[in-house]
Amino acid sequence: MITLEQKKFQEIEKMTKGYNPLLVLGCETCAAMSFAGGQRQVAELASAIRVARKTTEQKGEVLEDAVARQCEPEFVDLIADKVGGCDAVLSIACGAGVQLLAERFQDKVILPGCNTTFLGVTEELGVWSERCAGCGNCILDKTAGLCPIARCSKQLLNGPCGGSMNGKCEISKEVDCVWQLIIDRLTRLNRLEMLEEIFPVKDWSPAGHGGPRKMVREDLKS
Amino acid sequence: MTRNDLITEIEHPPCKLACPILTDVREYVQLIAERRYEEAFATIRKQSPLPRVCGRICTHPCETACKRGQVDEPIAIAALKRFASDGLWRDQYEAALPGKSTGHKVAVVGSGPAGLAAAHDLALLGHGVTIFEALPVLGGMLRVGVPEYRLPKNVVDEEIQAILDLGVEVKTGVRIGEEIKLTDLFEQGYKAVFMGIGAHRDRKLHIAGEDKLEGVVSAVSFLRGVNQAEKPRVGVKVAVIGGGNTAIDSARSALRLGAEGVHIVYRRSREEMPAAKEEIEEAAHEGVQMSYLTSPLEILGRDGKVSALKCIKNELGEPDDSGRRSPKPVPGSEFTFDVDMVIAAIGQAPDSSLVAEEIEVTEKRKRIIVDGPYTLVTTQPGVFAGGDAVTGPATVVEAISAGKRAAISIDSYLRGESPATVESAGPTETERLSSVIIEKTTKFERCVKTSLPADNRVKGFDEVEAVLSEDVAVKEALRCLHCFLGARLDKEKCISCLTCVRVCPLSIPTTSKMGEITIDPIACQACGMCALECPVRAIDISLDHRGEMSQEIEKGMAESHQPDPVIVGFFDLHGNFGSSDVESLKQDYPNILPVMVFGLRKIDTSDILKAFESGADGVFLAGCPPDTDPFAETADRVKRRMTHARTLLDAMGIDGARLEVCDMPEQGIVDKELIDGLIQRIKEAGQARSE
Ligand SMILES: Cc1cc2nc3c(=O)[nH]c(=O)nc-3n(C[C@H](O)[C@H](O)[C@H](O)COP(=O)(O)OP(=O)(O)OC[C@H]3O[C@@H](n4cnc5c(N)ncnc54)[C@H](O)[C@@H]3O)c2cc1C
Ligand code: SF4
Ligand code: SF4
Repeated sequence: MITLEQKKFQEIEKMTKGYNPLLVLGCETCAAMSFAGGQRQVAELASAIRVARKTTEQKGEVLEDAVARQCEPEFVDLIADKVGGCDAVLSIACGAGVQLLAERFQDKVILPGCNTTFLGVTEELGVWSERCAGCGNCILDKTAGLCPIARCSKQLLNGPCGGSMNGKCEISKEVDCVWQLIIDRLTRLNRLEMLEEIFPVKDWSPAGHGGPRKMVREDLKS
Repeated sequence: MTRNDLITEIEHPPCKLACPILTDVREYVQLIAERRYEEAFATIRKQSPLPRVCGRICTHPCETACKRGQVDEPIAIAALKRFASDGLWRDQYEAALPGKSTGHKVAVVGSGPAGLAAAHDLALLGHGVTIFEALPVLGGMLRVGVPEYRLPKNVVDEEIQAILDLGVEVKTGVRIGEEIKLTDLFEQGYKAVFMGIGAHRDRKLHIAGEDKLEGVVSAVSFLRGVNQAEKPRVGVKVAVIGGGNTAIDSARSALRLGAEGVHIVYRRSREEMPAAKEEIEEAAHEGVQMSYLTSPLEILGRDGKVSALKCIKNELGEPDDSGRRSPKPVPGSEFTFDVDMVIAAIGQAPDSSLVAEEIEVTEKRKRIIVDGPYTLVTTQPGVFAGGDAVTGPATVVEAISAGKRAAISIDSYLRGESPATVESAGPTETERLSSVIIEKTTKFERCVKTSLPADNRVKGFDEVEAVLSEDVAVKEALRCLHCFLGARLDKEKCISCLTCVRVCPLSIPTTSKMGEITIDPIACQACGMCALECPVRAIDISLDHRGEMSQEIEKGMAESHQPDPVIVGFFDLHGNFGSSDVESLKQDYPNILPVMVFGLRKIDTSDILKAFESGADGVFLAGCPPDTDPFAETADRVKRRMTHARTLLDAMGIDGARLEVCDMPEQGIVDKELIDGLIQRIKEAGQARSE
């Protein structure tokens, strides 16, 4: 899933100031699963803005709504009327959602209520961690299923570096050295010899370094 | 609505389904837990015209079905019913008034619970009802069977009076079938007859000595005497033969009338004994001796009076048609013991001979034949029957149920509609909880009832059992597991985020590999954790419904005009506090709007913000002590949630110190120091803000 977290309330309050009515719009997929933008968080945030506005004697109605996914035009279009009646939309979805709203509602102010963080897994309720960098060219077959691009602080392809200490990364004792994990796992799999193959210099163009990415499936598109 | 519809319609708690009159047990138990006693009484009274009688002597099949019984012991439902029905708040209850008169006259024969219930419901339906009762007193076995020490007669009288107040007429001392036949009733203008004549004819022992010796009595006539002002004389050593409630009541009454030794002689073992377990225990506690696996062979006499009882020991053989193992005499085990009185209590049959020419009765047991349990039509058109007269000796609540069903059937008959023929669904077994859930469920001891000490009891007929005290009743009601009030998942909204699977303290929600979540409504105990944490609000629970809670706050805030800072206080109902604590809270802190919830788990940050939005200056959460909390493991999560709320409040410039979370004291509802501190902080913060 894509993980995201709500921006600090002060930042949200500042960017939404003066908009009346303001629509707080949730996204019921990744944002909800990150406890940043589902209906529960919509209710909490909208209420918080209302109370904050009241205590600072600002006027302005705050409306609430949510769609299944803000990254799909069909869902977004279903709330066109509601958006039409508002000054601004505070989207608590990932950046993709915010931008699709901006695209579909050309003359509306669209504001981001969240920071999109990473592609990751749920370790347990309330704990997520990064796993994938979306580099466009997966190498997990060569690294025992553990990604050095997403999980090595230096994105080394031929690690580890000299900073690897007792299985931890030199940037923090809290962070596992993914190269240590790779070695451990390859040892368990009895495939340590795989490390003898040296990675060539990585082509970063599929990772977006070759300009904004787009994907087209000729068989599916209209 | 029939029982059948109910079962298939939606899920109902086991206690309600087990009740023959479908009393909404769960609802009144919950209302007692919330200290809403008047409403609890209304819930009971809605189904039963004899709530105080039932609260005392109902055999409570609801308790047998109660899910809590699988965990530790069932909720003491009958005692709670008595608590709700005995309290003076019952006077506030506005009973339903009779409907518009239909002009039809209906005769109800017999004034036991079956007849009374039929009369009550028929009167409400607008029919003119006359009760014909053979005895000079009303109430059937409630008056002439069950002794005073279990069922005070003023209770019976009061409940009967309320039924008569609906305009029901009464003719006592009239035995239908004697001078007035059933056909005569129709000639007198009655359009329908309900036969609720009970089962008052004792079955005979059919042993030598039974008919000719002085000192042999039938239980029904003995108890009838016991229930009169002039009590019968009893022997010094009394044998009571039989194992039902009648036998037990005869034995306990004989003790009270001065017998020195009372023996119950029962042919099977204690397990097969039809009398209620509690009754058997009480009798033994009072000093009644039990001789199980014993059958009487002969009553021996001297000078025309009973002198001894000859018996034989039995062993248990194959099950008979009643499913109980039948006793087989052990050859050579005969023995004799001295007694000077024998009470025969081996069952009763309806006294139906007087009407047997007009309606058909069964050959052996003389029970009135009806066509089905919902129509209750006899072989004579316009004549209906129910209660012990049809089933043989049964229970009060079954008799009430029959009376109520008969009223519906008679009503459709009078309106010319064909009575619905619905078969009963048969016994519904309570679904078993898994051992994991049983293990994870917090155990709470069942209340102990207070009763007279045994020595005092046998001196007279004072009521043995006392009504529960308010605090005990509330605590008992809080043991309820809230069957079917729990999590309901809206599959359309569910995004398979797995939060419910992760937060449930009982591990009830499960998922398929495609993310389809299932929440077992039978196992769920409505703790509310999943409903609250669900990020897309796909789960709803009926207990402490969110919508209702925020309405309550809004309404309360709108009505509050306090000079002091206004505080919304959420209190966990599971705390160790009494009504007096609630009262003094209201008096000492009129500025606190109390919101009582079944657990602080149900309060989300947004509820706290809602309170501020509605104008509160502060919010207070008081949790129950851990040993009274059914889901103590969730307390930490609640605290962390509140830390999040406080951080948000700070960020909003509202000062998180306006939100206080604390545990209630061991006893009582709040720690005054804490509240005063909060009020002080709010006052200061309030000033700081307006500067
Ligand atoms: C000693 C004893 C203890 C019991 N304890 C319990 C208990 O703890 N819990 C429980 O649930 N149940 C108990 N029962 C059973 C319960 O009392 C009966 O099941 C219930 O009263 C049956 O109600 P009914 O209306 O069918 O008949 P009854 O209560 O028997 O009433 C029938 C009425 O009809 C009258 N009658 C009969 N023939 C005629 C006629 N021809 N004309 C006019 N009137 C007539 C009778 O005089 C009587 O008043 C007990 C019964 C007895 C005897
Ligand atoms: S636990 Fe409560 S709702 Fe469930 S059967 Fe028992 S009394 Fe009824
Ligand atoms: S309400 Fe509580 S007990 Fe029921 S499924 Fe949800 S978390 Fe579990």
